[in-house]
Amino acid sequence: MIFGFFLVFLVFGGPNGWASSFTDEVGRRVDLQGPPRRIVSLAPNITEILFRLGLDEEIVGVSLHCNYPEKAKTRPPVGSYIRLDFERILSLRPDLVIATGAGNTREMVKRLEAFGLPVYVVFPKDFDGVLQSILNVGQVVKREKEAAEVVSDMRKRKERIREVTEGLPRPRVFLQVGEAPIVTVGKGSFGNDLIRLAGGENIAGQEKQMYPRIGIEEILKRAPEVILVSSMNPDGDYEKVIREWKRWKTIPAVKRNRVHLIDSDLVDRPAPRIIEGLEQMARLFHPERFKGALQKEQGKVSIAK
Amino acid sequence: MMDLRSVSFRYREDWVIRDLSFRVERGEFIGIVGPNGSGKSTLLKLLYRLIAPQRGKIFIDGIDLGAMSRSEIARKMAVVAQETQLLFPFRVIEVVLMGRSPYLGHLMFESQKDLEIAKKVMAWTEVLPFADRLLDELSGGERKRVLIARALAQEPEIMLLDEPTASLDIHHQIDFLDLIHSLNRERRLTIVMASHDMNLASEFCDRILLLQGGRIHSVGSPQEVITKESIEEVYGCKVWVDENPVSGMPRITLLKKEGR
Amino acid sequence: MTKPKIMGPLNLPDPPKAIPRIVTLGRVLLVSALLGGLLLLVIVFSVLLGSARVDPRRSIEMMLRMLVGFPSGGTETEEAILFSIRFPRVLLAGVVGAGLSVSGAAFQALLRNPLADPYILGVSSGAAVGAISAILMGLGALSLATPLIASLGALLTILAVFYFGRQDGRIHPHTLLLAGVIIGSFLSALIMFFISISPKEELRTIIFWLMGDLSIANYRAIGVIVPYVVLGFVSLYLHARPLNLILSGEEHAVQLGVDVERLKRTCYFSASLITAASVSVCGLIGFVGLIIPHSVRLLLGPDHRLLLPASGLLGASFLVASDTVARTLLAPVELPVGVITAAFGGPFFIYLLKARKVVRTI
Repeated sequence: MIFGFFLVFLVFGGPNGWASSFTDEVGRRVDLQGPPRRIVSLAPNITEILFRLGLDEEIVGVSLHCNYPEKAKTRPPVGSYIRLDFERILSLRPDLVIATGAGNTREMVKRLEAFGLPVYVVFPKDFDGVLQSILNVGQVVKREKEAAEVVSDMRKRKERIREVTEGLPRPRVFLQVGEAPIVTVGKGSFGNDLIRLAGGENIAGQEKQMYPRIGIEEILKRAPEVILVSSMNPDGDYEKVIREWKRWKTIPAVKRNRVHLIDSDLVDRPAPRIIEGLEQMARLFHPERFKGALQKEQGKVSIAK
Repeated sequence: MMDLRSVSFRYREDWVIRDLSFRVERGEFIGIVGPNGSGKSTLLKLLYRLIAPQRGKIFIDGIDLGAMSRSEIARKMAVVAQETQLLFPFRVIEVVLMGRSPYLGHLMFESQKDLEIAKKVMAWTEVLPFADRLLDELSGGERKRVLIARALAQEPEIMLLDEPTASLDIHHQIDFLDLIHSLNRERRLTIVMASHDMNLASEFCDRILLLQGGRIHSVGSPQEVITKESIEEVYGCKVWVDENPVSGMPRITLLKKEGR
Repeated sequence: MTKPKIMGPLNLPDPPKAIPRIVTLGRVLLVSALLGGLLLLVIVFSVLLGSARVDPRRSIEMMLRMLVGFPSGGTETEEAILFSIRFPRVLLAGVVGAGLSVSGAAFQALLRNPLADPYILGVSSGAAVGAISAILMGLGALSLATPLIASLGALLTILAVFYFGRQDGRIHPHTLLLAGVIIGSFLSALIMFFISISPKEELRTIIFWLMGDLSIANYRAIGVIVPYVVLGFVSLYLHARPLNLILSGEEHAVQLGVDVERLKRTCYFSASLITAASVSVCGLIGFVGLIIPHSVRLLLGPDHRLLLPASGLLGASFLVASDTVARTLLAPVELPVGVITAAFGGPFFIYLLKARKVVRTI
């Protein structure tokens, strides 16, 4: 996959004024006739980015799973990763559709193009990729300044974590993203990147699959010191999952009560809040370094007893 | 009319019909009897070419059966079989009209003439009142008559009957055979009937063919064929043969084994 | 005798009561015209309905204009919704519904088995393996290559089943059935294997294809399959009368002058061709091929001269209506169409069973 980071500005001029051509993150050329005024987002992370950049009425359609910010829930849903409702999208008359390479399919994009809709595809692969995507989207929607601010803030906070955790021994971490079967994060996933940046060592970090299935025996063998359970299912019973882990008393994480719940929206969604996920992880990996910050906690982290 | 010359047939390794030669004249009522496995049904199947003999030939009015097309055979001969599958039942009129199939060729729909013929044969077989009923609503005997009507609709010269009275009540058996008999006598229909009921064959048939192990054991009038010696030899059981007091035709009575 | 009303989103008047006793050309044309009219109505309604709202009167205006060759007069968006999304989908549903119903009727007759459906000889599993292979190779469900590879899979399966299903040079229904079931099972195992190794994105596409996915409708694909469905139907219809005859039993058909082996070869092939074409674009839609022929038999009798066209037309209406419900009931969420065909078809069929005499062996 090409990391098409460069933007080519071709000003066409003409009676409409501003018109631009962009290259998106999968190398496709996207032509816009003017600053987008009716944008449809096809994934939750894109929606978050758009709202964070200060857009509001311009966002006319979101995906079914877009749940942040609250305002996102008021926009008409146009489908999910699995299925797009093309009728609805067309009836919203968007002048820009933003899709993600990590969920929407090539065919969906092709069909949208066939209807004459400009589609911009983002495809961040790691933390730095998210920063770049925010900047790219900022360019396309004419919110460069806001994008730069957000990215700068995120960079600073990431740096701070790096400073604080530099040189510390890395705890072995297991991040669970699927309940049955047990699925974790491997090379190439956001979770893996975050664990590394937060000063931990992903016990599945050498697995070539992005979301490998690992058996319980293997986990026992690798003896993680911290277990993070990601809340992928909003109605899931996580007390049950944490109790399940308690069965395996030989795991260091269980022995030392370091099995924690973490909001999957913060660690698996390539959006601005990923920095919060990173910060939470850092605190959980190296609690002794972040003692004071624990009181200011927000978000869904609970300490298992 | 029908000429079988040295016909032999086998399904797998064993010969079921061995070197059988036989002639049927027009208008005859022939009965084929013999124990199970003697080849009665197989012989009938050879006659309407469901299967073909590995050796020998069969001629109908001088023409080799193997050279005739299916429709040609169907126009000459009609078969009234034992069972018909009732999976998706048709109406009586529809079943009888199926008998016109050999004359329709590639045509999709029956003509007025076909409908007239169907009505005529239904009248003969006295099933016209049931014309609109579904086949599975009728009794066994009525169904058999519908099958005869269908066979008649084929306007055949020869009618083959395979165990026609099996599973029929006695009054139905008599009705059935009376009808066949009258068709034979009044319409000069050649009948070949395979039956396990020798008394019935004796009553109605002009000539009887007694089969044993795929060969003809004896052939001739009922008096000639149905004898104590022949029956005991072919069937291997004790019988008493006398004359039916009403018709005078040979009559078999089964005897119990000694000492009971 | 009154015919029961046809259930569904539409309420239709009862068809005429005076039904002649045998099947004539006139009767076939009459029933075809009635069911054809029903289909037309269902199509129009289905194009009017959808998850986006387009004014019905405008829609009808636009459709009529397009019919006569004028520009539709609607906005680009409206045109796209009506003619690029809804209409191809409705068309595909019609073709597939007709194809599955006709081939289901044929298989029920050929195998003399009321439980037969178009998928019984494993043809659909072969198509599935083909389609899944294409999807895993990255061709995607929308490309033209996928239906072609699916058809290839189906054809290879047909050949295999016929090769193993013959005995002494003849096709025996039971042997054929056995061969079909066994080969189908083997292919199902292959499908499960593919599912277990497929990456997330392809997995979704595969699952939806297996459940039957009409959303991938496009005119090109429809254009490819229509000739095969039509060809198969014509071939079967020419043998409609002989198909009646083999229902009594193959021996009966032989003595009535039918070349049974040739009939079986032609009809099995035609029915398999229709099934393969119907399944290759949008996957396995269940239930239609089983209940539509039975429903038509209960209403109109088992004569194939009427059963085949009636099943085709009724099956088309049924699937179009089911698909419309599937995509509008919980918009923007789309239900798999197989859920609707079972949910509506099941109770309707039970109603028919109770109101009418049914197949003897059930």
